[in-house]
Amino acid sequence: MDPVTLAVLEARLSAIVEEMGEALLRTAYSQILNSSRDFSIAVTDGAGRLVAQADHIPVHVGAMPFAARAVREAFAGEMRPGDVFLLNDPWHGGSHLPDLTLVLPVFAEGEPLFFAVVRAHQSDIGGATHGGYNPGATEIWQEGLRIPPIRLGENGALRPDLVAMLALNTRIGRDFEGDLAAMLGAAKLGAERLSALAAQHGAATLMQAVEEILALSHAHAARILQGWPDGTWKGEAFLDDDGHGRTDIAIRATCTKEGGTLTVDLSDSDDQVAGFVNSSYPNMVSAVSMAFAYLLDPEVAKNDGAFRALKVVAREGSVVWAREGAAVTLCTSHCSNEIVEAVIRAMQHCCPGRAMGGWGRRFRIALTGRDARRPGRRFVWHLFHARPGGGGHARGDGWSCAGEWHSVGGLKFGSVEMAEARFPLHFRHHEFLPGSAGRGEFRGGFGARLELVVESDGPARANTAGDGARHGSAGICGGEDSPPHRYALRRADGSERVLRTKETGVVIQPGEVIEVRSAGGGGWGDPARRDPARIAEDEAEGLL
Amino acid sequence: MRYVIGVDVGGTFTDVVGVDEEGNEHLAKAASTPEDQSLGVMQGLANLAAALRLTLGELLDSTVRIVHGTTVATNALLERRGARAAMLTTEGHRDVIAMREGLKPARYDLRLPAPPPLIPRRLRLPVRERLRPDGRVEIPLDLASLDAAIAALRAAEVEAVAICFLHSWADPRHEHAAAARVRAALPGAYVTCSADVLPQIKEYERFSTAAVNAYVGPPVARYLGRLEERLRAAGCAAPVFVILSHGGVTPIAEAARLAAGTALSGPAGGVAAAVALARRGLGAAAAEGLNRTGQPPSDDRSAEGREGLNRRGEHIVTFDMGGTSTDIALVTDGAAALGRGREVGGERIALDSLDIITLGAGGGSIAHLGAGGTLQVGPRSAGARPGPACYGRGGTEPTVTDANLVLGYLDPASFLGGAQRLDEAAARAAVGRLAAQLGLSAEAAALGIHRLVNARMADGVRVATVRRGVDPRGATLLAFGGAAGLHASAVARDLGMARVAVPLFAAGLSAWGMLQTELRFETARSVLGAEALPEDAALAALFAGLEEEARARVAAWHGGEIALSRAADMRYGEQVFEVSVPLDGVPATREGLRAAFHARHRALFTYDLPGEEVVLVTARAAARGVLPPMPRRAAGAGLPASPLGERLCRLEEGERGLPVFAFEALAAGQTLTGPAIVESATTTVLLLPGDEARMRAEGWLEIAPGAG
Repeated sequence: MDPVTLAVLEARLSAIVEEMGEALLRTAYSQILNSSRDFSIAVTDGAGRLVAQADHIPVHVGAMPFAARAVREAFAGEMRPGDVFLLNDPWHGGSHLPDLTLVLPVFAEGEPLFFAVVRAHQSDIGGATHGGYNPGATEIWQEGLRIPPIRLGENGALRPDLVAMLALNTRIGRDFEGDLAAMLGAAKLGAERLSALAAQHGAATLMQAVEEILALSHAHAARILQGWPDGTWKGEAFLDDDGHGRTDIAIRATCTKEGGTLTVDLSDSDDQVAGFVNSSYPNMVSAVSMAFAYLLDPEVAKNDGAFRALKVVAREGSVVWAREGAAVTLCTSHCSNEIVEAVIRAMQHCCPGRAMGGWGRRFRIALTGRDARRPGRRFVWHLFHARPGGGGHARGDGWSCAGEWHSVGGLKFGSVEMAEARFPLHFRHHEFLPGSAGRGEFRGGFGARLELVVESDGPARANTAGDGARHGSAGICGGEDSPPHRYALRRADGSERVLRTKETGVVIQPGEVIEVRSAGGGGWGDPARRDPARIAEDEAEGLL
Repeated sequence: MRYVIGVDVGGTFTDVVGVDEEGNEHLAKAASTPEDQSLGVMQGLANLAAALRLTLGELLDSTVRIVHGTTVATNALLERRGARAAMLTTEGHRDVIAMREGLKPARYDLRLPAPPPLIPRRLRLPVRERLRPDGRVEIPLDLASLDAAIAALRAAEVEAVAICFLHSWADPRHEHAAAARVRAALPGAYVTCSADVLPQIKEYERFSTAAVNAYVGPPVARYLGRLEERLRAAGCAAPVFVILSHGGVTPIAEAARLAAGTALSGPAGGVAAAVALARRGLGAAAAEGLNRTGQPPSDDRSAEGREGLNRRGEHIVTFDMGGTSTDIALVTDGAAALGRGREVGGERIALDSLDIITLGAGGGSIAHLGAGGTLQVGPRSAGARPGPACYGRGGTEPTVTDANLVLGYLDPASFLGGAQRLDEAAARAAVGRLAAQLGLSAEAAALGIHRLVNARMADGVRVATVRRGVDPRGATLLAFGGAAGLHASAVARDLGMARVAVPLFAAGLSAWGMLQTELRFETARSVLGAEALPEDAALAALFAGLEEEARARVAAWHGGEIALSRAADMRYGEQVFEVSVPLDGVPATREGLRAAFHARHRALFTYDLPGEEVVLVTARAAARGVLPPMPRRAAGAGLPASPLGERLCRLEEGERGLPVFAFEALAAGQTLTGPAIVESATTTVLLLPGDEARMRAEGWLEIAPGAG
């Protein structure tokens, strides 16, 4: 194929997924989509191979094809143009239950040429606790509604009875229906654009271009790998706990680089646990793909071709690949982040210039209570402030307060002024936390210190879901780990109650203060080699 | 004869356009002088005077208005060469601008170094004070901590101070008190309060905008002061205005105060030109069936598209292709879209700003074999130095301009009216090296570069239209700037666009556009209280107060007619983002606002929630001082022009000799059939096979592209 047509089609395919993402961002109703941007968009070919994916939430990068393939298998021979498919179950093409995935086949000459795939995190998916994260769950049925691939609509329209049934099983049915409409709109937009592209260039030419694009991306990734030494390296990372008594749960990666291929074997990881930090298989593959993508050049296309250079091996029944029925809801952050950390810890010996210090771990608080300014109403507020820092790397210090491995600067925290105006909260302090970064030749970014006065009308209740209060962000290539998170509740009498990462129903009295000291990023390289000018700069900035 | 003069300072050239009372347009160019742009401006004015056979003094003496687009703020941000600025901020919150709301660009580039903030932490000094969102004082302004901070600022010899306190949107009294004390202690410092720059809730937007203002304020104020001085010294008594990012103009003193508002001053002129040309009928015929594709507009899913269907739906897409970048914007029914999320040089400026998409590709963009193994154009550019290989200034890498020269589209002897000779052999050698890597002939590679840049431009137009819900097929592509005419027809074909318009005045269009826009002042106030919506009486007073403030501001600059408009940012109770709702003609009552919001939400997102609480967040008012209309030249008819000659060009279809027409010589109503070349001293237009073009008496060449 002539190189120019190829370049044009490559640009068009990425423009289409970008356009789908833009449409979803602008039309979504719930905060988690339009503000926190927790969604992903992909186009696969008819076989379910990833053709193009927009840069949204990296933890979805390798997971979307599982959804397309699950639909393809479930409805083999029965798929018709205009069908709309939906799923969320981690053992049927999903990653975890809050991520709802809509799949639209795009037909040409009677065959599904592409799948337009839209995945969006729901504010609620039923289950035992509000908001999708249930630290108490020990099996998936306590985590929410399971949806295998279902035909949610025909001829481009959704079946109202099915939508009503799904909405009835979530706590915020209105958000659910609004977001579903937005997802369908984005998927249809993609399907229209892909149909037009196929009509313009002919399906055969287009699919030949797809083959060549994938082959070029594979060659691109392989060429980068060929520049690294061959060998086998090991890395391990630890989850704090599972919330049910197991602590220091190990993820172990054995990475073998040979020529243009990297094999990541996670078989030595610990067995699966009771709590919701287990991973589903698609999420595990995606986490490894995410780590792989971080090590390559950012320009490498995130598609099936690039990931051909990666082989993933794991053991069913381990924490990274739990058996059907296990609790897995936290897995898109934990243990995803620890899978990335284990891979990077192994690969720091292979490609140290590309390895980066650890990004922070997620530690979320959901707060609920009453506000005297708005009588008769209950508020629910999610903590996105005091974000952890990003890791240092060979080209510089880490980004401060930019987040975790699974989002890397893609999740936004809201305005302090707006939070104070809308919720009975007073942000007494919200600044970088000096000394929170892992030291190194290039240090991590800083975490933050937050003092949040709860001014609810009567007691408020908090749930936590996260990790990283025992283990800080990983130091790499001789860099140091950051100090871990420390979350505490300051009582009126001045005493302190430390918050664990997986708790439900913590009672907070009005006037009590949530004190957060979040972890910075991990350091990169020997701290002794740090440029004295950088030390002086940090000192002048009051950050040491 | 009296003149109005527009001045557009670009990266390479300063364009000066003078329009006389009869509507005759005169363009003069001078080399830009980045170290002090006012030198280039004065040279451009002198060149214009010479072209008019006047002395500079005579020209300025008969000038009634000067409008200026400046890139001083833009360059200071992009090159990080602004003032030594400091910030005084609420104790406990000094890192707001450095936290950037937790966002980082380039998702998969984890080795991207973090940018240093415009104001370092050691110059972001805490002051003990605190307000609550309802304006209540939690901690009074502590003068001891303020004086300690001021002493530190004096020791650090700062040039500018941004005063950024939490909840100053609710009550600016602490900021104003601190500013007065800073001004007294540091005379000569540029002092800016966040509530004066952007009086609305959300601290990151407000603080970042104030920080940008402090950072670019001193250089912008210095530059404008120098320019005014030079103009006055040369005998100019006319008012001098600066075009702002929102497309309106303002006096020099106000531009110096709200310097952050000039960050998109440069490209704003082109959009203002499109708005003015829309008033003259550009774009109007698109709905009348000039669309030759025969396809109906598609069923737009996204927000503005549905809304667009309710309007006349006349869309113009501006396509301003320069040397290093291309600016694209959408003008609908004679109005340009505005946004508030603009970043320049990675810094957020939350002021109203034209929704301009800037692509990092232009005539100087370098073509190369990408790491992924495919042909790529840009983002690196040869810039003005060394420039394309054909400029003969040492450039060796093939650029878009080199490809166009190899293809025969440009005349090596008459580039810039013959002021710059192009080196064809150098262009061919540069393109040839890349061609060898691709296994292609030089001509095939040049055609590939041309096609690929067309595809990138088409994607940019797609972002400006489709992603904003507008079907490009019914829109008119307005091509201007030096390089757009060679690519416009192909871009329009790719998107099935009905029409392309290339003004005869394409090269000076931005400067001309600045003369067409009006004086504008915007004000806003966030009103988030315990009540979702204030009582009717309070609402009426709120809007009346804002309008009076805006009106008084404009009345101080302008004796003529003043038009007022109002809008509000609202949301449903549990939503996070506000929707901006125009309120012209809507009664300022709770019911009026609620109904307007429900309707707007329905138009944007297909549904509304009649049972939900509607919350008013920010009320807005704008005053526009209407400037006298520009004179228009009477259309000249004359005899149809014959081609000057023929040039051998390489098209997709093969090599052909194309007739070359002089743009200026085309008679009103004259029609041309592609393929052909139309050229003037400053622009070249390529008509592709099947294109039908007609010279309009209004001064533009209108092209109906052939089927692609």
